[in-house]
Amino acid sequence: MFRLLSKKMRRWQTSNSNNQTKAQQKRSPTYLSKNLEENLQILREALGQSSDVVIRDMKINSNSNVDAAVVYIDGLVDRDLVNHDILQPLMFNLQLIKDNVSQNHSSLIDFIKSSVLTVGQISGTEEIDAVISNVLLGNTAILAEGVTQALLIDAKGWEARSIAEPTNEVSIRGPKDSFTETLRTNTALLRRKIRDPRLTFQSLQIGERSKTDVSIAYIKGVTPDNLIAEVNQRLKRIDTDAILDVGYIEQFIEDSPVSLFPTVGTSERPDVVAAKILEGRAAIFVDGSPMALTMPFLFIEGFQNPDDYYARPFFASFIRWVRLVGFILSIYLPGIFVSLSAFHPELFPTQLLVSVAAAREGLPFPVVLEALLMLMLFEILREAGLRMPRSLGQAVSIVGALVIGQAAVSAGLVGAPMVIVIAGTAIASFLVVPYADVGALLRLIMTVVAGHLGLFGMVIVQLEILSYLASLRSLGVPYLSPVAPLNLSGLKDTFLRAPLWAMDSRPESLNSPDTRRQSPGKMPQVPKTNPNQRDSQ
Amino acid sequence: MKRGQRFKIYVAIILIIMPVFLSGCWDSNELNKLSIVSGLGWDIDPDTGEVTLTYQSIIPSEIKSSSSTSGGGEQKGGNPLHTIQLDQDTGSSPYDVLSRYAQHGSRIPFYQHTQVYVFGMDGVQQGIYPFLDDQSRNPVSRPNVLMVVSETKASDILGIQDGMENIQAFGMAAEIKLSAAFSKYPAVTVLEFQKRILSKTTAPIAPIFGIVEENGPEGKKIQKIRITGTAVFQGDRMIGELNERESSGLLWATNKIEKGFVIIPQASLEIVQAKGKIVPELQGDQIQITIEIDEESNLLEYKGRQDMTSDILQELEKDQAKEIESQVMAAVEKSFALNADVFGFGEAVHRKYKKEWKDLKPKWDDIYPRIEVVIKVKTHLNEIGDINKALMKD
Repeated sequence: MFRLLSKKMRRWQTSNSNNQTKAQQKRSPTYLSKNLEENLQILREALGQSSDVVIRDMKINSNSNVDAAVVYIDGLVDRDLVNHDILQPLMFNLQLIKDNVSQNHSSLIDFIKSSVLTVGQISGTEEIDAVISNVLLGNTAILAEGVTQALLIDAKGWEARSIAEPTNEVSIRGPKDSFTETLRTNTALLRRKIRDPRLTFQSLQIGERSKTDVSIAYIKGVTPDNLIAEVNQRLKRIDTDAILDVGYIEQFIEDSPVSLFPTVGTSERPDVVAAKILEGRAAIFVDGSPMALTMPFLFIEGFQNPDDYYARPFFASFIRWVRLVGFILSIYLPGIFVSLSAFHPELFPTQLLVSVAAAREGLPFPVVLEALLMLMLFEILREAGLRMPRSLGQAVSIVGALVIGQAAVSAGLVGAPMVIVIAGTAIASFLVVPYADVGALLRLIMTVVAGHLGLFGMVIVQLEILSYLASLRSLGVPYLSPVAPLNLSGLKDTFLRAPLWAMDSRPESLNSPDTRRQSPGKMPQVPKTNPNQRDSQ
Repeated sequence: MKRGQRFKIYVAIILIIMPVFLSGCWDSNELNKLSIVSGLGWDIDPDTGEVTLTYQSIIPSEIKSSSSTSGGGEQKGGNPLHTIQLDQDTGSSPYDVLSRYAQHGSRIPFYQHTQVYVFGMDGVQQGIYPFLDDQSRNPVSRPNVLMVVSETKASDILGIQDGMENIQAFGMAAEIKLSAAFSKYPAVTVLEFQKRILSKTTAPIAPIFGIVEENGPEGKKIQKIRITGTAVFQGDRMIGELNERESSGLLWATNKIEKGFVIIPQASLEIVQAKGKIVPELQGDQIQITIEIDEESNLLEYKGRQDMTSDILQELEKDQAKEIESQVMAAVEKSFALNADVFGFGEAVHRKYKKEWKDLKPKWDDIYPRIEVVIKVKTHLNEIGDINKALMKD
């Protein structure tokens, strides 16, 4: 059976690599001709005579009849900039251009670049494909008659959401900015956190049609080179028509695409991404997505929260335990309750058994069905609350609270202890947000197994899950490290959060070439001088 | 071929999923199909030798109504036993009786949470071996159930509500545990009973419950249960009992004192800490047992109207030691009279003199009443309370 499955997987993999070779066959580049009209014709055809494409003809040098054209896409460029710093200098300086350029066409474009245009970023190209792709990016192209070179001016400017507070990863003490949909803004946010010159953003374009900009962020010398190479290789393997969100990338590059557990991390907070890069990870930004991917992603990262590091270590460690316990409860609690009441009533404390038995009196369904019913009701309510128009949200929460809480019990459908169990589970499941979806699935599995095999079945499934987790890898790093394989110094940031001055080295499991984060022995100390003496001075 | 392969995968997935649903449920017991037995009574008819078992089961719905609607319980206040149901069956052996349960019961009896086993006086005099055998053999039974002897029939005791617990058997268990905590009577679980039986020389014990009548409201007589003594067994038969004083003496000697009081004529003292130790000494054929007791106490009340002095303290300590010694002596004398080794002297000798034990063991019954017992009590008075001067003086 498993041999069959693995054979199938292998076939998928080989078909993938076939596609890759196909994509690598490139068309031979076409170059601009000297004839402006011809060039513009090619551009019009390529851009499909779309209404948002603006091709502005002009005469720069009326004596020699040199035509020129400015090509851009309306909405992607800063109109003020185009009008004032491109069109205006070109048209107002006709005499200047005529005086300096004489009849030499080829020097015309250089002169415009060097002496006329008052914008920052200008480059030139002779390929017509480059012109097209740059125009689609939001650059402005200038073409001229008799010149085989086009000027590409960065005058991008479009409506974008401003930087707002993070909505999904709320922090109490930490910075309150989050990524936006603009790649440049996101990289700038990161650059402001890490001013190391070795912080590198390596750019790629992915997507046959979307041509989405993708940036790999890392710090040279901190992120291991083989990790960068591996990320690059995985990104280059992607062959799809559009990347609309970072989630597309995630699903194309994960280590274990059929695993319930995520092996690539996501964050919308620049400080979190900065911290992960500083630990020796790589990040991926995608234009149009307000999230960044970080990798490798270890299991324990789901329990780490930025506030753990901004608050003092004691409460942070305590809360980390609360999260661990909450996660475990959210998976097992309904299962344990079902096993105990259906298979092992002797494990209840006697008084609890009496009150549970009292609550179960006269209920129509077996306890498994009851648990599954309540779990499904909860998932339905959660999804409805998430997706429904905001104005209807209140209605859902009122009905949900009544249905789950009061009505189900008084209608005699479920027992009151089951409501408590499900409610506790539901709240606990939101403690560890990265695994909320994994938890929901595991919880259902555990409940079904508990209903059929009791605690015995739960132990078996638990062993399966554990061994599966231990077999997972995220970009070569064992998923459960630093716990399994055990790495004692890495445990400083797992079940407890050691004080910052005690965490001298980067996590060993990430294999960063620069192991030290700070010199050891930086524990703050009271200065040796006598404070009274200081006062008298 | 590709289709065939896919078909195989589907079949394999179904084969993996199906057993999960097929195998389960064979030992699934939904709580509302169980009858939780809180107490079990054991009686034997002395004439016919037939066994009668009394099941005291919890009625969950009654507990629900009395706890969820506060005040609603008063409607049923007339009958304090509304939370339990008593069933009786008679047969030749325990399982003969159990098999008859199916004739009238609606739910499977569930014994894992049983609190007490009550043995009627007739039953313990006939011997409870069949019950003990069942207890040890059956994996369902728990070794931590408390064992109790009833002065009357077991079914009588199980039907008398006492204490503040809402289920009678829970109340009985709580009473036994409290009396043990205050060092009055021993609390004996099935496990301890079995241990004593297995040692061959040591006599099993169990507290005895009796029924007393008290004046209730509106001039009515109400029945209550109370612990009246400690039953002493020889093997599986009860042969005698220890009274209150002797029971305390037994606890002193066997190191079972937790807290409690020592009452002497001029004062009362609270036990803070106590240790009892049995030290055997073998001299030829004669066995000497030294019971060493080390006790610390606080003064609770003092009747003499005078200030505390070290002389008085010493006197109190001495009197206290004398009182403890007399309690232990009473227990020792009673055990000699019954020729039942309730203290475990035999085990103590066995531990110390392994070689000699082989010869001693067969004639232990003859040796036991001739044992010389020396009691050494050391007492220490820790605190005398918040006042050291008497409020009134003579």
